[in-house]
Amino acid sequence: MRRSHIRRPVMHGSALLGSALLLAAAGWAQNITVPTSAVAGESATISTTGSGKATFYLFGQGVSNKHDITLGEDIKLRGDALRNAGDYHVVVCADTCRSATFYVSAGKPSSVTFLVHPSRVPVSQQDAVTGVAFPFDQFHNLVLTPVSINFQLSAGNASLLNRSANTQAGVAWFRTTSGKSAGALQVVATLDDFNTRRVVQQVASDPCNLRITGQRNAAGILVQTEPVHDCSGNPVPDGTIVSFTATAASGKSTVDAPIKKGIARAQMEASGSAVISGASGVVMGNEVRVGGKQ
Amino acid sequence: MTMTMSRLFPAHSSARLSCLVILLSGFLASQYSAGADAAPQVQLDAKKTAPRAIESLTERSIIRDYRVAWISMARALELNAVDPLNGPFTGEAKTSLWQSVISQQRSGLSRRYVDQTHKLDAVFYAPEGDVIELHDTAEYQLQFLDKGKVVQEEHVVAHYVVLMTPSSDRWLVRYLQAVPQF
Repeated sequence: MRRSHIRRPVMHGSALLGSALLLAAAGWAQNITVPTSAVAGESATISTTGSGKATFYLFGQGVSNKHDITLGEDIKLRGDALRNAGDYHVVVCADTCRSATFYVSAGKPSSVTFLVHPSRVPVSQQDAVTGVAFPFDQFHNLVLTPVSINFQLSAGNASLLNRSANTQAGVAWFRTTSGKSAGALQVVATLDDFNTRRVVQQVASDPCNLRITGQRNAAGILVQTEPVHDCSGNPVPDGTIVSFTATAASGKSTVDAPIKKGIARAQMEASGSAVISGASGVVMGNEVRVGGKQ
Repeated sequence: MTMTMSRLFPAHSSARLSCLVILLSGFLASQYSAGADAAPQVQLDAKKTAPRAIESLTERSIIRDYRVAWISMARALELNAVDPLNGPFTGEAKTSLWQSVISQQRSGLSRRYVDQTHKLDAVFYAPEGDVIELHDTAEYQLQFLDKGKVVQEEHVVAHYVVLMTPSSDRWLVRYLQAVPQF
C-alpha cells in the first residue's frame, strides 16, 4: 500500500511532543493509504487514520467526486469509478487537507487496434506492407505490459508471413514484402483469443517484357501490345496507359492508349516507313519497323 | 529616466511616489498573471525514434500541437468546459477528458495546472507516419479546487504515455495516460 506523504518541520525533544499533542488535538492525524497497484474496472480500498468527520475528494481520469467520510474507516471505490487507467489523486480534508496519488493500470487485453498500410499495393514490392498493433483492455486502456502479438499474412492458400512480436511500450509492428500474385492479401493480428483482420489489395506491378506489333492498314499503322503482364505473370490492370511513339522521316508522333482486356491498341497516322516503340510508365517495350505504303 | 518621470509626473514628490507604486503594482500583477497563465514549455527529443525518423517540420508541429493540447486540457479542467477539448483531442483521450469535465461539473470540483513543463521522448513513429507514441515527463503545480476554492496544491512530476495521430492540418492527442514510470 502506498501511504500519503507527511511533511513536518524538523523539531527536537519537547517541541516535537508538544507539536504532536497539538496536531492530535487539532484533528490533523488523518493519514491516507492508497493501493499500490489497482487494475482498471476493479474495486479498490483507501484507508484513513484518525477520527472525526472529513471530506474525501477523488480526482481521476474521467472521474471527480466528493463526499463526507469518517476518518479511520475504509473508503471503497467501485470498479466503475476506476475504469480509466492513469493517476488518481485522493484528497482528504479535515482541519487540514492531506493527499495521496495512486495509479490504475490497464486490465487484460481484450482487443487489438491494427493499422495496416497501404490498402492497395503492387506485388513483389520490398517492405511495402506495414502493420502496427496496439493492445487495449475492455475499457479501451492501452496495455503497456509486454504481450505477444502474432502477425499472419496470407494470399489464397499461401502463407506469406507468420511472425510474433512482443509489444514494447504498448505497440508491436511488422514490415514485409508484398506477395507475388494479385488479389486479396489477408492480414491478421492475433492476441490470445482476439484477432483483428485487415485486407490489402495486391495488384500487378509494372509491365514486364512489353512487346508490341504493328501493321499497316488503310488508315495508317495499327499498333498493339501482346497481353501485358508484370514480371510475376499477373495481368496488368485495364486502364493502364501504354504510349506508342512513331518516328518517321516526317517527324515523331505519340499516341496514348489504355489497356483493355489485357491489350493496348492504337491507330497511328504515318504514310512512310516508321519505327514504332511502346512504353508504359518507366518500362520500355520493343521497337518495330513498319514499311511505307506500296 | 528620472527626467522622463519628472515630465510625466510634474506634481509633488508624494504624488509621484504614489504613481510609481501603482505602476509597480500593475507591473508585478501582470508578471504574476503571465507566470500563472504561461504557455507550457514543451521539448521533444526525437533521437531514439523508430522505426521512422521524424522530420524537423513534423517535430515542430508535434511540439506546437502538444502544447496546445495541454493549454486546452488545463482550460477545460479549470473552467469545467468541454469546448476546449474539441480541437486538439480525439478518440479515447477526448472521451476520458470529456467525462472528467462532466464529472467535475456535477461535483463542483475543478483542477488547475500551473507552470507546466513537458519533456517528450518520441519512442515510436509508425513506418507510414500515421501514429506517434511519446513519453512525456511533465512537471507542474496542480491545484484541486472545490467550488473555486483551492483545497490542495501539489508539485507534481508525472509520466504520460501519449499517442498522437495526424489530421488534415495538425496532430491530435488520441491517447493520454499517466503511468508511475516508463
